[in-house]
Amino acid sequence: MQKLAIVALNSLLAAGLYATMSYGLAVIYGVMRIINLAHAGLMMLAAYATWALNDRFGLDPFLSMVIVAPAFFLLGMALYATLIRWLPRSSAGPSMQSLLLLFGVWLVLQNLAYAIWGGDTQSILTPYTMESVQIFGGRFGIPQILVFVVSILSLVGLNLVLRRTFLGKAIRAVTQNRDAAMLSGVNAGQIAAVAFGIGTAFAAMAGSMLSTLYAFTPDFGRSFLLKAFCIIVLGGMESFTGVAVGALVLAFIENFASAYTSIPVSYQDAISFTLLVVVLVAAPGGLPGLWRLLDRRVVAR
Amino acid sequence: MVRLTWCGALAVVLLGLPARAQDEIRIGAVLPVTGKESKIGGAYKQATELAVKEANDAGGIQVGAKKMKVNLSLLDDTSDAAKSAQLVEQLITQNKSHAIIGGYGSHLVQAQSVVPDRYGVPYLSGGAGATAIFGRSKWVFGTLSPVEHLAETQMKFLDDLVKQGKLKTPLTIALVTENTEHGNDYAKGVNDFIKTHPGYKVAVQEKFELNTTDYRPLLQRVAEAKTDLFLADSHLEDFIAMHRTYTQMGLHHLMVTHGARGSDTAARKALGPATDYIFASGWWSDLLPYPQVKDFNARYKKETGADPQWYHAMAYETARALLTAISKAGSLEPEKIRAALAGLKLEKSIVPGQVLSFTKTGQADVPFVVTQNKPGAKVDLVWPKEDATGPAVAPIPTK
Amino acid sequence: MTALLRRHPALLPGLLFSAVLLLAPTFAERGTQNDLWNMAFFVVLAAAWNLLGGFAGQVSLGYSAFVGIGAYTTVLLAQAGWSPWLTLPVGAALAAAFSVVVGLPTFRLRGPYFTIATIGVGEAVRVIASGLEFTGGSSGLRMPAGTFDFTANYYAMVGLALATLALVAWLQQNAFGLALEAIRQDIDGAEALGVNSTWVKLEAHAISSALVAVAGGLFATNFQYISPGSVFDFRLSLTIVLMPIVGGMGTLAGPVVGAMLFSYLQIKLLASPTLRDSYLFIYGGLLIVVMLFEPRGIMGLWERLWSRLPRRRTPTIAEARGAG
Repeated sequence: MQKLAIVALNSLLAAGLYATMSYGLAVIYGVMRIINLAHAGLMMLAAYATWALNDRFGLDPFLSMVIVAPAFFLLGMALYATLIRWLPRSSAGPSMQSLLLLFGVWLVLQNLAYAIWGGDTQSILTPYTMESVQIFGGRFGIPQILVFVVSILSLVGLNLVLRRTFLGKAIRAVTQNRDAAMLSGVNAGQIAAVAFGIGTAFAAMAGSMLSTLYAFTPDFGRSFLLKAFCIIVLGGMESFTGVAVGALVLAFIENFASAYTSIPVSYQDAISFTLLVVVLVAAPGGLPGLWRLLDRRVVAR
Repeated sequence: MVRLTWCGALAVVLLGLPARAQDEIRIGAVLPVTGKESKIGGAYKQATELAVKEANDAGGIQVGAKKMKVNLSLLDDTSDAAKSAQLVEQLITQNKSHAIIGGYGSHLVQAQSVVPDRYGVPYLSGGAGATAIFGRSKWVFGTLSPVEHLAETQMKFLDDLVKQGKLKTPLTIALVTENTEHGNDYAKGVNDFIKTHPGYKVAVQEKFELNTTDYRPLLQRVAEAKTDLFLADSHLEDFIAMHRTYTQMGLHHLMVTHGARGSDTAARKALGPATDYIFASGWWSDLLPYPQVKDFNARYKKETGADPQWYHAMAYETARALLTAISKAGSLEPEKIRAALAGLKLEKSIVPGQVLSFTKTGQADVPFVVTQNKPGAKVDLVWPKEDATGPAVAPIPTK
Repeated sequence: MTALLRRHPALLPGLLFSAVLLLAPTFAERGTQNDLWNMAFFVVLAAAWNLLGGFAGQVSLGYSAFVGIGAYTTVLLAQAGWSPWLTLPVGAALAAAFSVVVGLPTFRLRGPYFTIATIGVGEAVRVIASGLEFTGGSSGLRMPAGTFDFTANYYAMVGLALATLALVAWLQQNAFGLALEAIRQDIDGAEALGVNSTWVKLEAHAISSALVAVAGGLFATNFQYISPGSVFDFRLSLTIVLMPIVGGMGTLAGPVVGAMLFSYLQIKLLASPTLRDSYLFIYGGLLIVVMLFEPRGIMGLWERLWSRLPRRRTPTIAEARGAG
């Protein structure tokens, strides 16, 4: 019983991390149907920025998010204005061009990091990095708990903005039907820019938090990006609650598989990739799609 | 399309070779100066160039009756295995190198090592300890001793602690290795030792992928096995991530190692006092109390401004070994150089044991050192015992 | 003969170029031959991928799996005593079979969803190959001694590249090629006209994966050592996609141009230290520029410039009737 509690808590904390990595991708995809491969590069850049602030000014990584997130918000809007805006929009769905363009941006960001900081491994050590608390007989690291808290706050914050503010409503409108939104007086171009900025800001927050947990090089971010894909696919790619649920499901599967089966831990990644393919094929709407399907069946009865 | 095909045809026709100087030793080297292995690849480049510079500053190398300068052609393979092999081939066929210094990284050296046999050119690598590379061609030599022996050295060190009474058998082991050739060799070394030494048992053995995102599931399995010892083999980033999780989870073992990792400055910066008492095993340490090592440390610091790490030292000594072999051969003929390498006994070497020589497979078999981190960011050399700078602390004190 | 040449103006320089390639071992240095081998290797990968990706419009980011299947099949069978040449068709068949297994569920997906699924498949294959014992795990495998013959391998690779281009050119012309094009433009419309899109996609996938696997087998024989890192790498999948995209998807010459550009960049970059450190800038920048300004790649740019030139236009019906 205690083991179950510990594994469940481990999953919860991992889910918090996974969700934070994925919000940024979800925002950009939801509004613009663009798959942001530069997400990994942005996380990496934010990690380095956080490290630089910590190294030079001794600023705590979590606190430095106050500076890093808005800075990256502006960076995201700038990226949109200079590059993304010119991409032709196919109303049919996400385009290959955006995928590849952003992949190009990722490569450029990597080179930028190599040029500025070199290839050395960097990490941030704070007084609380190695501390942990005891719950149910298991010990859980403070940074992971903080990440989880930030993740929940982000989820709540995002949902509040989406439902209560005009910006949020505009974003939802553009997500659902861009032309109709424009007819209703929404400046879709502006909304898209803001959405890209928000997505970049979230990527930056994720990067800042990841810098407290991991050591990083300019190559950092690839394994997280692929996991984030799995999660937003699981979550249905369009809602943030879905992302959170997707993160939970993936984290639970990984942790329970490791704790209760004897599948070698090195196959952990294969699990998430297989899950990605299975969900894409069997349930393209992700878990919410599955839910809707079941819901409809029940109602039809 | 038309224009392009003509351009393509033009690109095919390459013009002849530049004239070759006769009275120089042409050494070719292919290293990962950029790309994934760039950190250590760059270090190898620096150290190799230093060794060549020292030789040339002394007037060159005595080969037979003449003193010849060394012409080093060093190419970057960008950490790509296929390119690495092709560049070695290029250095042999176009550059007409007399000998090749191999690269860094088991997979790169593996790819390179198939080439020397084709042309009969001596090849000495200072950058790979994987046993599978050696023994296949008489032209391939390596200065890094097998990774299995790294593991074996650590086991011998632990066994010695048992003999001293600091640890008591039976001891159970959690063996966690990265899913690479290095990790596989390490695991094999540990398991081979256990076969001949009852009293040790591997209770849990796991592999992990490089850059794993979450070490908790893995360490959960380790925690449940409740073993006495924790033996791991990992890259720097994974060591940091794993050990952070290890510390947060409140895990404790009588002895902990991460293979060659532990005393790296980057690790101590990232982990702080959590690295205390971790022991690590490596091919070289700047703590070795030999006069030639102290001298090397000083020279290296003066030339480059940095303290030498094991990779600088091994790269330097590899180049020095090759040049010494050429001198002993007294000729630039490939077979003579090869024979000289095979029979080389480099005395007053900076390697542990002070003598560098190669076994029948072409791989060196030099003792490994074991270092242990001590509180206050100190490091002690604890093995070989005759060269120790401090006592080995076992078991790791609980807080 | 002249009629054939007039219809395909690129044929003459193409034949000349092929002749030069085939004669290269007699006069070119080994370094140049290596470069040409690399170029031919990339041409096969790019042109084969283009069959599914450019003509049919299904962008797969998981093609390194097929390179790996070809390479591993060759090494494992060679270790069991087979002649390396005989292992190539086996690798091709296995890759084609695997492509069907992967394609059946994933071809239901459209556009980037399909792409993401292929990323998942490619990575899963790599992780599994690193974990299995009989594939040597992460340590990789070596070809048995005595299987290396560069000149033969060179001819085989160049031959494969020419054969691939010829095959693609032929397919482009006949009904199969039309079906691919129809699928790319409007898959529902194509279906309505009676094209069994799934079947056609599976065929294209099978043919291209088989070609890629043969290239993988030749790669294994040429380098004599393979590991999951060298053949199952995600970056290889990206390179395979980059070449036809920059060169021009959906054209015959596009992948060739892309492959040549890519090989040239590789050689050039290695030569200069400053450029070496910026190779990511260059590849990334190239991608950005192509996607923003000419998504149809270099061949698209070429088309645009060509169509601007004043040319004899075909006469209208009225003009023709008036003249005759």
